[in-house]
Amino acid sequence: MRIEVDARGQVCPKPVIMTKKELDNLSEGILTTIVDNEVAKENVSKLAGSLGYEFSVDKGKDNEYYIHIKKGEVNGEVSVCIPDTFKDLTIAIGSNKMGSGEEKLGNILMKSFIYTVRETTPYPSSIVLFNSGVYLTCEGSEVLEDLKALADEGVEILSCGTCLDYYNIKDKLQVGGITNMYSIYEKMRNANNTVNIG
Amino acid sequence: MKKDEFGVVTFKSTHHAIQGESIFKKKEISFRTIPTPREITVSCGLAIKFDLSAMDRVKEMIEGNELDFDGVYKYVKNNGNYSAERII
Repeated sequence: MRIEVDARGQVCPKPVIMTKKELDNLSEGILTTIVDNEVAKENVSKLAGSLGYEFSVDKGKDNEYYIHIKKGEVNGEVSVCIPDTFKDLTIAIGSNKMGSGEEKLGNILMKSFIYTVRETTPYPSSIVLFNSGVYLTCEGSEVLEDLKALADEGVEILSCGTCLDYYNIKDKLQVGGITNMYSIYEKMRNANNTVNIG
Repeated sequence: MKKDEFGVVTFKSTHHAIQGESIFKKKEISFRTIPTPREITVSCGLAIKFDLSAMDRVKEMIEGNELDFDGVYKYVKNNGNYSAERII
């Protein structure tokens, strides 16, 4: 069975949602999602990869991409290999302050927290940031140095794209990647432990 | 393994630590606010870490009564061992 999802002209996260929905309906076969921008291509590819499906991308004219996703028997368990330097832990940061209360204290606690994460092994496997938490990965953040060091060690650092967009700081991102709600939830769900800080 | 040395200023309270931060900022001394290392158990939970090259400027601030601090330490991380030596 072949299905086509035309997600041209759709903005993030619509192409991912459309693809996911069709993939869920599809029992076996190939699904092709057509998008017209690179971000959507990346996000749809990431979705396919994270679900453990084989996929390939063809570039069409202009900025069009055809992402072919093969849904069938998943080749074994999609296992993520976690070396000793990492703990199977996701840290979810929903604010640029730690805890509720006075702003000054919250700021200083967050700095102190991130520093501690950087100084302690094993490292978390990923850190996801959302809402005002995304300020921490952007220009002007006082914890950039630590987050960059963590990223260099291999910790996956992901900032919520919707949030960067809302605060209008997408072009200020200095460390890690941009992600969407699917990946945020996936990081939380797939890790053995999730710690929420905010 | 790498050896890491730096200075640490501790404070009597969190408020003093926040105040200390703004003084360091004003003086343009590069610093990091960190949880007070376990080896220095006294004082409040937050401390300021700075490069040892700035030690003289930190001493100056202290002599000029500009910094309301509790202690100044030289902190050494060596092969996973930590030690703190009180300087002031």
